[in-house]
Amino acid sequence: MEEKLNSLKEELKEKLSEAKKEADILNIKSEYVGKKSEIANILSSLKDMSIEDKKKYGSLINNTKKEMENLVALRLEELENKSNITFDDSIHFEVENGSLHPVTIIAHEITDILKRMGFTVVSGPEMESEYYNFEALNVPKDHPARDMQDTYFLDNGMLLRTQTSDNQIHAMENFKAPLRICSPGRVFRNEDLDANHENTFFQIEGMVIDKGVTIENLLYVMQNLLKEIFHEDVKVRLRPGFFPFTEPSYEMDMSCLICGGKGCPTCKNSGWIEMVGSGMVHPSVLRAGGINPDEYTGFAFGFGLTRLAMMKYKINDIRVLNSGDIRYLSEFNIE
Amino acid sequence: MLISCNKLKTYIKNSEDIDWENIWNTFTLRTAEVENVIKKGNTFDNVVVAEIKECIPHPNSDHMHVLKVNYGEEEDIQVVCGAPNVRVGLKTAYIKVGGHIDNIEIKSRPLRGILSNGMCCSGKELGISDNHDGIIELPNNYIVGKDIKEYLPIDDIIVEIDNKSLTNRPDLWGHYGIAREICAITNHELLPLEIKEIPNNLEDLDIKIKDENLCMRYSGLKIENIKNNETPLDMQIFLYYVGMRSISLIVDLTNYLMMELGQPMHAFDARVVKNIEVGLANDNDTYTTLDGVTRNLTSEMLMIKNGDKYFGIAGVMGGLDSEILPDTTSIFLESACFNAASIRRCATSLGLRTEASARYEKSLDPNMTDIAIKRLAYLLEKENPDMKIASNLTDIYKKPLKESQIILDKKTLSIYMGKNLEDEVVTNILEKLGFKVAVKKDYYDITVPTFRATKDIKIKEDIIEEIARIYGLENFTPKPLQLDLTIKEHETIYNEEYKVKRLLATKYNMHEVNSYIWYDTETLKKLNITKENVKLLGKEANNILRDDLSLSLMNIVSENFKNMDKFKIFEIATIIKNNENKRVLSIILTDTEQHLANIYYEAKDIISYLFKVLKNKKAILTDNINEYTYYDENLGKLIYIDDIKIGTLNVLNKNCTNKLSKKKAIVTIDIDFDLYCKLNKEKMLAKEISKYPEVVLDYTIILENKKYKDLEEVLKTFLSKLIKNYQLLEVYENKYTVRYTLGSDYKTLEQKDLQTFQERFIKHLKENDLKIIE
Repeated sequence: MEEKLNSLKEELKEKLSEAKKEADILNIKSEYVGKKSEIANILSSLKDMSIEDKKKYGSLINNTKKEMENLVALRLEELENKSNITFDDSIHFEVENGSLHPVTIIAHEITDILKRMGFTVVSGPEMESEYYNFEALNVPKDHPARDMQDTYFLDNGMLLRTQTSDNQIHAMENFKAPLRICSPGRVFRNEDLDANHENTFFQIEGMVIDKGVTIENLLYVMQNLLKEIFHEDVKVRLRPGFFPFTEPSYEMDMSCLICGGKGCPTCKNSGWIEMVGSGMVHPSVLRAGGINPDEYTGFAFGFGLTRLAMMKYKINDIRVLNSGDIRYLSEFNIE
Repeated sequence: MLISCNKLKTYIKNSEDIDWENIWNTFTLRTAEVENVIKKGNTFDNVVVAEIKECIPHPNSDHMHVLKVNYGEEEDIQVVCGAPNVRVGLKTAYIKVGGHIDNIEIKSRPLRGILSNGMCCSGKELGISDNHDGIIELPNNYIVGKDIKEYLPIDDIIVEIDNKSLTNRPDLWGHYGIAREICAITNHELLPLEIKEIPNNLEDLDIKIKDENLCMRYSGLKIENIKNNETPLDMQIFLYYVGMRSISLIVDLTNYLMMELGQPMHAFDARVVKNIEVGLANDNDTYTTLDGVTRNLTSEMLMIKNGDKYFGIAGVMGGLDSEILPDTTSIFLESACFNAASIRRCATSLGLRTEASARYEKSLDPNMTDIAIKRLAYLLEKENPDMKIASNLTDIYKKPLKESQIILDKKTLSIYMGKNLEDEVVTNILEKLGFKVAVKKDYYDITVPTFRATKDIKIKEDIIEEIARIYGLENFTPKPLQLDLTIKEHETIYNEEYKVKRLLATKYNMHEVNSYIWYDTETLKKLNITKENVKLLGKEANNILRDDLSLSLMNIVSENFKNMDKFKIFEIATIIKNNENKRVLSIILTDTEQHLANIYYEAKDIISYLFKVLKNKKAILTDNINEYTYYDENLGKLIYIDDIKIGTLNVLNKNCTNKLSKKKAIVTIDIDFDLYCKLNKEKMLAKEISKYPEVVLDYTIILENKKYKDLEEVLKTFLSKLIKNYQLLEVYENKYTVRYTLGSDYKTLEQKDLQTFQERFIKHLKENDLKIIE
């Protein structure tokens, strides 16, 4: 009896594995586990068996039938799940994507880092008064920066701002001390265009004012900012600089990423790239912003976003940035 | 600026303790940026002093000579030489066989058939001058056979310092000032300069200053009985190494003083000097400078006048008629101090930047002029022991610049530094830099030397900078800002801009561009558009600021049409309107002409989506009363939010479009971004969802000579309690499909409810003369 049941099961397995269509399986189903199947016959013959045999085979026959029914059900499920490919799944189209301007991407990255340090982002006007662009920033009347050669003056007595530092004054007026602001924006210099020079480019300004702000705080923010931006171990060095609106003033250089600091045309063979101008806010600037320099100290910094974008994305001609040439810009992903 | 380390060493006590090659990294961190450090004298070896003993013409050449040369060995050696100045008795530089010059080994070899052993060298070949007219002529007292480097300062380290980083340091425009910095950095002692005291027992020179604000000081001295000899070789080499050309002793000495002290000087031939007057030029006069160029003068230019005639442009360049000549035997020395801004304006407007004007522009110390004259006299006397001082050191100096006092309180210093410094540290740093310090309990009383007081040291923060830089920035510990969790006032503009940009780039696959704030003149001309707005001064083209962002992007549109038929760009930027800055978002959609409708609908979709998603507000478009004629007069729309006009939707008219590119369509959106930022986001409230299922019914209506707007009017007047909402689903040719969503809050709708609705709806449409496909 056991043999018989086993062979029935094996027979069913074999038949099922050969069957490829649902209809075939249904036929096999009625043949092997249907009302007129052999197992059904065996089951119905159970009642004629001796009590001993009933005990011996009863559950075995019942279990075998269940197993066989299961086998059929499993096979049916298997066939249902088997996808019947009727299309060309190897086709793929190029993705059409939009793009953000490289300067927008880098500005977003930097403001993000600064926000983590507690800075808020503010904006300022591109057409600016001489007061905010020069006077309030302690740039004297006969300073070379005020020359027509460097500054776009306008016929309404205003000018196009030459730096985002005007926002230092706006921020102090608007927010008072203490404050922590940064401000990305477009600036203008009266320059002839070539691969390295633009008359319209982007800078970002930063300013912190509080009681007891030190040169050490300035160092921390400066050194960590560039490391965060480039996600690699960028070497930085600070050296004395000169800006009318800070005292002391510092220039921050970073190791040239093009040549790795060995020296190349981009870094004029020095291995260093001038990146950030910074310093402790000049007392006259604090006063111009309505803040008492005996009570508060602060630092400010500014650097070229355009320059940074060029470094980061290895852009070798500054002019493409304002060209609007989609063939070039579309390479830049959103993030 | 080029700096010679050999020269620096002469001003510093125990200078041999300094590592002259590596000090310059530190100098960059402490003082100013060093761009280059170049070793000199390593291009040759085995060059010795030699004397020409015999000199006969080369039989096979019309210019060469065959020489017998004594170079310290027992036997003279035969050398063939092409230089014109060869002669018996001349001492020169000779490179031995086996020696090297510019990495080439010198060998014995025949020249036109006659063996030449080694080579006599010119100054240029040795890299110590640009003279290649003949072999170098050495003084007679040089001993034959000695290495030339034993006599001449050929081995040197030349340092190039970035001029820009010296802008604020007039005291560093000469070697002596650099030496002072090195002393402060390395804690060495600066030696005083040797000078010749002038007795002042003679007569004053006739010198007048007309404007003391423009010429703060003029010192003059007359010296007679001098020979304008050749400059000593070591000074020639120094001048050559720092980028000056040797001309003659007198001229070289004035240049030497400029390189040493940073004080520009001028020597006039005393034969032509009558009286000196410093005053402004007359407009429209002309004057010919030393370089032979005739220049137009203005009444803003300060001149040196001699008698009635111009004698030089003050602080910029002298003239031809006062030039020092080979037969000059008496000189009038000028050492003056001029107003920095005036010199800068003058040099800039003449387009004539000289070594002198570059220094005057930095605000030189007026107290340096007399020292420079005394120093020059000292150096001149070494070459001309018989020279005679022929006048007093005449000094016109009405308002002498005095040392200034600055009080630096210790508390401020420690706030800036983040730490307390010992008095000794502070005092040592400042004194090495030339300051005098009186230490008090809570403060330092600091005397600022005049060479620092003209420009960069004015307030206590300037002193802090001096202390901090010499103390060394690498000795500070960077410290993070302290935690402050106060919620600050906040401006959202930047975030708003970024959100919109991101949405346009990701949802609509648009490209962000950057452009200029002015109109491209060529493009305006091409489109035949005239614009009046704020203008840039001093510019002929691209000088009108934009008042329409989309229009200003048309040159970018036109450029891109060269490479593609359709594209979508946007920018958020500033325009100038009514004399005010205004932020605007401009979106430009383009395609071929036949797809105008597609991009027009897309533009409408963008507008609705933008305001719905980012502000939760409904944008309403109404017909435009067109502001600008270059946009299509029928297709323009005004965009309203909450009954406030916030922007426009336009189609560039056909004429302009064709001029940019043939058979194209250009749709523009301009949104007032200042207003956009001020819009509050509409509150979002959860709404109840009915328990009973909703039913959707689609109706297709045929519009003949009608617009959707007409249909919308009809739909608006059809009222039923069952309507949850309705919307335009699809348009195909003139067939408009509208979808109604029906439902009830009280029951599941039955077939008869829908039947009644449908009958009423169809009847309503028919009453309004609309055809419905049933």
